[in-house]
Amino acid sequence: MRFIKNYFMTFAAGDIITKISYLIMGAGCFLRGQIIKGLLFLFLQASFIVYLFNFGLGQLKLLPTLGTATRVEVWNEELQIYEYVQGDNSMLILLFSVMTIIIILAFLVIYHLNIKTAYNNQLTKERGGKLNNMIRDIRSLFDSNLHVTFLTLPTIGVVTFTILPLIFMILIAFTNYDQSHQPPGNLFTWVGLENFRNIFWNDPLQARTFVGILQWTLIWAFFATFSNYILGMILALMINKKGIRLKKLWRTIFVMTIAVPQFVSLMLMSRLLADQGAMNVLLGYLGIGPIQFLTNALYARITVIVVNIWVGVPYTMLITSGILMNIPADLYESARIDGANPVKTFTRITLPYMLFVTTPYLITQFVGNINNFNVIYLLTGGGPLSLDYYQAGKTDLLVTWLYKLTVNNQDYNLASAIGIIIFAISAAMSLIVYNMSSSTKKEETFQ
Amino acid sequence: MRKILAIILTLAMFGAVLAGCKKEPETITLKVWGSQEDQAMLQEMIDAFKTAHTDANYVITLGVVSEADAKTKVLEDPAAAADVFQFANDQIVDLVNAGALYEVTRNKADIIAANMEGSIEASTVNDKLYAYPSTADNGYFMYYDKSVLSAEDVKSLDTMLTVADAAGKKVFMDVSNGWYIASFFLGAGGKLTVGEDGKQVCDFNNANGAKAGEAIKAFTAHNAFLTGEDAVLTGGIGTTIAAGVSGTWNAEAISEKLGENYAATKLPEFNMGGTQAQMSSFAGFKLVGVSSQTQAPVAAMELAEWLTNEENQIKRFETRQMGPANINAANSEEVKANVALAALAEQNQHAVSQKEVLGGYWVPAEAFGTAMEAKDYSKTIQEMLDEMVAQIQG
Amino acid sequence: MKTKRRKFSFSNLAIYIILSAMSVVWIMPILWLIMTSFRGEPGAWTPYIFPKEYTVANYTRLFTETGLFNYPRWFINTLIVAVFTCVISTILVLMTSYTLSRLRFRGRKGIMNIGLILGMFPGFMSMIAIYFILKAMGLSQSLTALVLVYSGAAGLGYFIAKGFFDTIPRVLDEAAIVDGANQNTIFWRIILPLSKPIVVYTVLMSFIAPWVDFIFVSVIMKDNYNNYTIALGLYQMITRENIYRYFTQFCAGAVLIAIPITILFIYMQKYYVEGVTGGAVKG
Repeated sequence: MRFIKNYFMTFAAGDIITKISYLIMGAGCFLRGQIIKGLLFLFLQASFIVYLFNFGLGQLKLLPTLGTATRVEVWNEELQIYEYVQGDNSMLILLFSVMTIIIILAFLVIYHLNIKTAYNNQLTKERGGKLNNMIRDIRSLFDSNLHVTFLTLPTIGVVTFTILPLIFMILIAFTNYDQSHQPPGNLFTWVGLENFRNIFWNDPLQARTFVGILQWTLIWAFFATFSNYILGMILALMINKKGIRLKKLWRTIFVMTIAVPQFVSLMLMSRLLADQGAMNVLLGYLGIGPIQFLTNALYARITVIVVNIWVGVPYTMLITSGILMNIPADLYESARIDGANPVKTFTRITLPYMLFVTTPYLITQFVGNINNFNVIYLLTGGGPLSLDYYQAGKTDLLVTWLYKLTVNNQDYNLASAIGIIIFAISAAMSLIVYNMSSSTKKEETFQ
Repeated sequence: MRKILAIILTLAMFGAVLAGCKKEPETITLKVWGSQEDQAMLQEMIDAFKTAHTDANYVITLGVVSEADAKTKVLEDPAAAADVFQFANDQIVDLVNAGALYEVTRNKADIIAANMEGSIEASTVNDKLYAYPSTADNGYFMYYDKSVLSAEDVKSLDTMLTVADAAGKKVFMDVSNGWYIASFFLGAGGKLTVGEDGKQVCDFNNANGAKAGEAIKAFTAHNAFLTGEDAVLTGGIGTTIAAGVSGTWNAEAISEKLGENYAATKLPEFNMGGTQAQMSSFAGFKLVGVSSQTQAPVAAMELAEWLTNEENQIKRFETRQMGPANINAANSEEVKANVALAALAEQNQHAVSQKEVLGGYWVPAEAFGTAMEAKDYSKTIQEMLDEMVAQIQG
Repeated sequence: MKTKRRKFSFSNLAIYIILSAMSVVWIMPILWLIMTSFRGEPGAWTPYIFPKEYTVANYTRLFTETGLFNYPRWFINTLIVAVFTCVISTILVLMTSYTLSRLRFRGRKGIMNIGLILGMFPGFMSMIAIYFILKAMGLSQSLTALVLVYSGAAGLGYFIAKGFFDTIPRVLDEAAIVDGANQNTIFWRIILPLSKPIVVYTVLMSFIAPWVDFIFVSVIMKDNYNNYTIALGLYQMITRENIYRYFTQFCAGAVLIAIPITILFIYMQKYYVEGVTGGAVKG
């Protein structure tokens, strides 16, 4: 609220030029000699207005209803066909409205900047100082304001490719966009919290499935993350150790396994480990009966974790390698002089250091594994399918179950709703752990 | 002077108008989607279409989208979909619901008369025709090794199992797959329909269904039973496998492996609690549809009709061995001589339409099949069937 | 090191043994893939392990039989996309992580928290949304669109690089400022050269992405066959109708993908320098 009040106060405290810049952006600049900057602001304002009137407002108008015009058929006797007049497309309306809203927000940021500049210029002039010209402004962008320069491009990228689709998806959870409401033939509209109510109040089979799958998802994420992390680190340590030759060779061998696309290597694995696959043929030679790697619920779960180790350790090895090399050698020197053995060095120096640097990474990996669609889906397809679960199998994660529900039933709104729940849980957990951990607390002291 | 100028100008104007009046052939642009393997053949058909239709200047581009992916690609962005595309019949309900198909109204009677009843039924939704039938060979049947099994043996599933077992070979069927396992239930008289409220109605757990379930249990428990994916069948047929259930897409591979011993027939009869019942199957067709957002509906429909007329269906058979849906084409000697297609045609007499099978059927059916294959008898058949049906009906 | 008398160390021997064992386990599936790519008999499954016939035809056919599967074209497409993605992604990630690690400004903590959770939403509809956004920009079905999709949100992957930057002591920065450098110079002249391992990692990861993704490219490219990347193209080879004839070729194609990635890695290994920071500070 104070923020809004500031606007009024600045208006009151501003001189005539500042007041003009409230209406005509950039006035506070080019009327005081900062021509280029002022014209930039004006240009942005003009483009924004053009966009709004040509496109944006039209989309926003339809947002509350998500479109009302359905497709109209007109019989054309001469051509013997129906002619279709296309109706509104609810999905596109939703998407473009969200885009318009984001553009409006971006514009408001620029507007805010405009006012701030105008007012600051006024204050500077009043104090008798000289206004920055363009060249000094650009220079500061490379020094004290470097963060602005460096973050602009990434932010634009993230907003366009992540935030915009994300808002779009979240909003879908509040509509009835499901298999009977597919555009462009049908319209869908807002239904509020109905989807969420359905999830929690629905039949016991679905609830049981949700709990069962959630349990397995968490177990899997835990084992997958830590097994990869520890083994990767140990591997990196072994390769990095002084006295080990052929370091490049060892690293290259492991990197080769990630050079082959995951869908190829996972598909191979699922063939190798199938009931009649090469692995079982091999075991047959040794006289051991076929092991149902992928078709027995318990074995499948173990197999999945083991295969994930195969897939993931090269990655964790690379990362930990890089960071390990940066541990100041004098730390190890002093430890050796003090007579510490390798295990102690590991637990007292290496491990804490690594944990500190990679806590955010671990958190993302854990959450990433909760959502690890590829490995599970490509290896077992979520199977073996079980009648205990509603439309799911024993190695299904929440995400793969979600995917099956959407692809089989095309219930996008249900999928979005469940997705939001998963997201809420993951995000909450991550933020809590991250902000509590020593990483953030000791950030400064570490540097 | 001015008067002369005025006359000249008026004459010039008339001339221009007259010149414009001369009929220019309009340019019609169409896009066609077909599977990768069909590209060369489709291009020939398209070229023939252009030669036969000189009333306009046709610019027809050909894109690669397989029949299985057609629905997804069309629904992702209907405005960018091809004007004419090939798709598999199980996608038609979703396409119609999304309003993506143009209703077929031109020459409707001719099309209905020329093609097999099953294919027309598969192209019709809510009593309206929405697609042009192209092939009638997307179903499944039984391939077998003549050197192990005789034509008599393959009439009954039990006999097949006994004979194969004695020869140390297997009978293959991917039971943990809703598409194949349905053959038992449908053969027992089970029904999958869509109720008034748009929800699936399934009666696979009634008395007949229970008998079918027992049959599946006996089948999967037999020593000679083998399951897996297609690759297992094509890899092992002739050596470790004596017979297997599959479709025309494997005809080439299997005939290569079996050589002289290559044979195929309709699915056998299975033992349903004492009586023999014929295994049923899902009838599959490939259809050609016109996008509802096409800019040139009449031209697109003409092209679609052309691509699926009798001549081109015969061409499709000759180039790709795909069974025609056109009645005349299907009755030709060559088609009848094709082993796989003949078996399929025989099986189609017992096949059921897949139109009323909703998306929620597949996973529970597969789950039941998986439990049977894993010989997981912790619950009774009736219990499992009840659970399965409960999930299917959502 | 070469002149030192080589100490025989049991722990080193043990490590060599373990490394060899692990390497064998890791390489086996790849070896199986390579073996299958040379297999003469078609089909995706064999009741035996070693191929009966060996042939190079699978590889040659990839390049000669381009009517059905235009492998060379896909390879070039993917290479182009990978190079551009790699460059753009790396720049974006490094800029973001350096800023968040080194520079202090209002909202920094907020941005870090948001960045942490943004990637956690499991969504399949985002692909459709991105497709339409690109279409509105006029870029649909083009390789440019693909590059944007892969590298656009790269800024979100900042944690690892940031963690790495955090370990570089501040004293270096301070020393540089005393010498008269501005923040920009510090980044390019001092911090970046010290970050080679993490730069290598980032470059490698962003280079790999276009070679292995087939979901995004399927949504973006739709029917624009000429612009397919290799993963999508290969995926077509294992459809029901094609798998019997093309599986071995598919394996050959997959092996070929691994080559540029491995080459890139070998080349970049030169930059994996040891204990750099320790040396710089002491000096």
